[in-house]
Amino acid sequence: MSVIVIVLLPVLAALLVCIPLGLRWVMGVTVVSCLADLLLTAQLAWRVVYGHVPHELLEPAWSNWLAVDGLSVLILLFITFVASTAAIYAVGYMTHEALTLRRLRLYCANYNLFIFSMLAIPVLAEPTLVWIVVELTTLCSALLVSFYNTREALEAAWKYVVLSLMGAGLALFGFLVMFAASHAAGGQTYTWAGLVAAAPRMPPVLMQTAFLLILIGLGTKVGLVPMHTWLPDAHSQAPSPVCALLSGIETTSILYVILRLIPIMQAVQGAHAGTWALVLGLISVGTAAFLLLQVRDYKRLFAFSTVEHMGIMLTAVGLGGSAAAYGAMQQIVSHSVTKSFCFFAAGLALLATGTREIAAVRGLIRRVPVAGAALIFGGLSIAGAPPMAVFLSELLILKAGLSQGHYLAVALLAAFIVIAFFGVMAHLNRMVFGTSSNGASDRDDLRTHAGGTSSLPLSSRLALILAAVPVLLFGVYIPRPLHDLLTMAAAALSR
Amino acid sequence: MLEHLLFNLLQVAVVLIFAPLASGVLARLKEIVQSKRGPSIFQPYRDLWKLFHKDEVVSEDSSWIFRFTPYVVFVTPIFVVLLIPVLTSYPLFFAFMADMLGAGFVLALGGFFAALAAVDTANPYGPMGASRTRMVGFLAEPVFMIVFFTVSFVAGSTIPYIVQQSWVTPFANFFTPSHVLLLLAFLMLILAEGGRIPVDNPTGHFEIAMIDESKSLEYSGRGFALMKWGGQMKFFVLMCVFLNVLLTPWGLAAAQTWAAVLLAIPFVLFKIFCFLLVLVVIESSLSKLRLFRIAEFLGAAFITSVAAMIAQVFLP
Amino acid sequence: MNDATQQLLQNLNALATGLFLLTAFGIVAVRQANACLNLFIVQSLLLAASAALLGLRYGTSHLYGVALVNLISKPIIVPWLLRKTSPAGIYTRREIDQVLDIPISLTIALALVIAAYFVGAPIANAVSAAYRGPNVPIGIAVLLLGAFTLTVRREALPLLIGLLVMENGAFLTGISIARDLGMLVELAIATDGLIIVFIMGVLVRAVQKQVGTTAVGALASLKETATRPETDEASS
Repeated sequence: MSVIVIVLLPVLAALLVCIPLGLRWVMGVTVVSCLADLLLTAQLAWRVVYGHVPHELLEPAWSNWLAVDGLSVLILLFITFVASTAAIYAVGYMTHEALTLRRLRLYCANYNLFIFSMLAIPVLAEPTLVWIVVELTTLCSALLVSFYNTREALEAAWKYVVLSLMGAGLALFGFLVMFAASHAAGGQTYTWAGLVAAAPRMPPVLMQTAFLLILIGLGTKVGLVPMHTWLPDAHSQAPSPVCALLSGIETTSILYVILRLIPIMQAVQGAHAGTWALVLGLISVGTAAFLLLQVRDYKRLFAFSTVEHMGIMLTAVGLGGSAAAYGAMQQIVSHSVTKSFCFFAAGLALLATGTREIAAVRGLIRRVPVAGAALIFGGLSIAGAPPMAVFLSELLILKAGLSQGHYLAVALLAAFIVIAFFGVMAHLNRMVFGTSSNGASDRDDLRTHAGGTSSLPLSSRLALILAAVPVLLFGVYIPRPLHDLLTMAAAALSR
Repeated sequence: MLEHLLFNLLQVAVVLIFAPLASGVLARLKEIVQSKRGPSIFQPYRDLWKLFHKDEVVSEDSSWIFRFTPYVVFVTPIFVVLLIPVLTSYPLFFAFMADMLGAGFVLALGGFFAALAAVDTANPYGPMGASRTRMVGFLAEPVFMIVFFTVSFVAGSTIPYIVQQSWVTPFANFFTPSHVLLLLAFLMLILAEGGRIPVDNPTGHFEIAMIDESKSLEYSGRGFALMKWGGQMKFFVLMCVFLNVLLTPWGLAAAQTWAAVLLAIPFVLFKIFCFLLVLVVIESSLSKLRLFRIAEFLGAAFITSVAAMIAQVFLP
Repeated sequence: MNDATQQLLQNLNALATGLFLLTAFGIVAVRQANACLNLFIVQSLLLAASAALLGLRYGTSHLYGVALVNLISKPIIVPWLLRKTSPAGIYTRREIDQVLDIPISLTIALALVIAAYFVGAPIANAVSAAYRGPNVPIGIAVLLLGAFTLTVRREALPLLIGLLVMENGAFLTGISIARDLGMLVELAIATDGLIIVFIMGVLVRAVQKQVGTTAVGALASLKETATRPETDEASS
């Protein structure tokens, strides 16, 4: 039952939220359901890693629809982790925004549905059903992106929906072609496992077409570079806890679908899936690194950094080999925990200053020490400074690339990462430590907006600390169970 | 052989005689739709008779083109009738002379002279109508081309007698997308070339809004009668091509006997009557397009014809 | 079923797909938002017809289900949902200034269709004969035309319909090459289309309320090089 419970718990929470009780009920239900989901998922992960397959997956009635392996459990685990911290963060953050109870209820219902749609991605086995829940993630999060109903938020939401669904249309075509390929190969069941089994007999033309269509289609939603234009808009205009979900884990869970195709493509003759992934990944990293230099909005800064990290993951997968796959898996983990932390920090900075513009914020560390420290810590860890999690995973990827002999790719990747590092740090440094030219007026602005650290909501600060733990921990020490899980997940990337 | 020649001449006679009737019926039907009684369906004959008995006034400043044009306009549809199936489903005496493309050129020759003659006199409305007709013509030309190319692509020929058979043998071919889309494109062409309503209003009386009519404003008497009759025959010929070659190649005489050929006349007239009914519905339910929107109308026709071609290419 | 009937069914299917393509051209070009919706409805009916004809031709009964779902969801529920969610002005809008003028966009659309042929040919060759048909290239063509509609339109309704047209195109190919896909999946995809309409209708209503226009595609205040949002709003 556990898998089904994990996926459906947020739906239950969304229904419960609609019961007209007070503010505490609405927020409490959301937080409790997310935490319960986290615990259940951790337990499921433990069982999967140490060899106990959940029994419903063994029943024939379910086996064609549901499947759980290391990769999907890894994604599940971090969806629930980010969802939990973001839910705790939102308790203070969203109430701080002085919204009506009705709006908050809408927010929480939408939030839970969004989490449901993400949780369904890794556990479903049938690719077309996966496509449908990918669509659902867009649709459930659209109203979250447009939550503030400002002109910019609506524009961002519209771009997000239109481009994502446009990509989804291409991906649907890809999934249908893939079905034709599996049918032509005599594949009995249209599941990820069935596809891997049938892959050697599939017509290469069909699979190549399908792969490219899905790569482009879902790549739009992941934010790979030529199709990334909506991402900075949507990931900066949404409320900060939603940004943390969108950037931290939604992109990764869509990338998961692309990763599922990699072992299938390895068996198809003449398909250069790895090369495509490598090239598209490097383009994404490079473009994002240079775009990072010229942003004006610090939430957009983190959004571009998401594009960069998606590129790094795809590049790692494209490098091939088990070491690079392990690095990619660790990158997924470190990115999701770090990026959600960054958006929490950015949200606090936004609460404290009331502006998203980099140029308007100077000397944050002196005025709002918590927000300033969090911002600089988040910046350092997302840009990949040692000894944080991102540093370790990027190092692993570069090392794996070198041992595979991809010198050019590794050199480019390293150069882009360094550029991105300077881009992120240059902006954040000025925001946190810089002194503004007309300091007096700025100080007045800040004082009128928020009265320093004490006014920042308690739960948000708590969530910040919770999120910071893995960022620090995974940089120096990977716990044994997590290591086993990562190894299992990396193994799912090859046949 | 002689019989074929006679049949051919019979076709010409049928078109000569019934072309005014068709436009009379069309005018009457439109009046009925508008809850009016309308003139008799034989009114076009009376008009022609009257015009032939009137004096002709020709501008002193006009050249030979002005005098020559009515004959060209009158004769070109007759030439075309010699080439296309009006009554028989087998080629007649003169049919070897040209295919559908050739017939199109002959019809275009009439249009060309009409435009020249309109410019020939110094009447300001003439050149205006001529240039507008040319504009419609320029836009319609590529559609004609694509239609003919698609026809030859599907049927492997541009000889109308071969084309008409290929749509219905076997009957399933009637429903190929290229055929239906071609019909649609050609219908739009007939509306444009015949000066029917979304493109031009044949019953309009404002010189400033005229496209087709203003070219013959300077004519009177016999010249005007020939121009008018020629125009009616041209429309009749276009309908014959549409109905006998593209849409409904049934009811034509298959046997080489007088009885069969004479029997084909009421069939063909019935088909034309049905088509006129459809035309009345179209004309009564649409309004005339502004001049610059005509380009979009013919653009739609062009897209339709290209879609017909593509649909044919796409058939595995 | 004898050969003549099979041939007839095949040609009727080809006819449905040909007209399907034509409606997609119409959706790229027509000015009235309402005409766009009507063309989309006609297109969905043609999709249903194609599914039913293929079902009849190959004896695949669940294609009737697909046809039925299309008959109910798109011509009936989609307009109803739109009326419920989106502002009334969305229908009566006329779009005078598309991003490209109409002849140019139609020419590009033609080029896309020809490109679709070259994409579709290898796919069609790779599947067995029974799964081939005009559905494959025309489905791809309509998919591309839908995407093209999204890039040249600014009004909300044509944009929304562009998305649904893309889905229709993918479906048209799907009923041919992925005919044996389960009914459940098809139902789920149809439901998904309805959710798209609902969410986007709500968004358009919010935009109409906030910005005062339904030309959603013309919104462009979020840019990297944009000046501060306040001045931007003042200038627009």
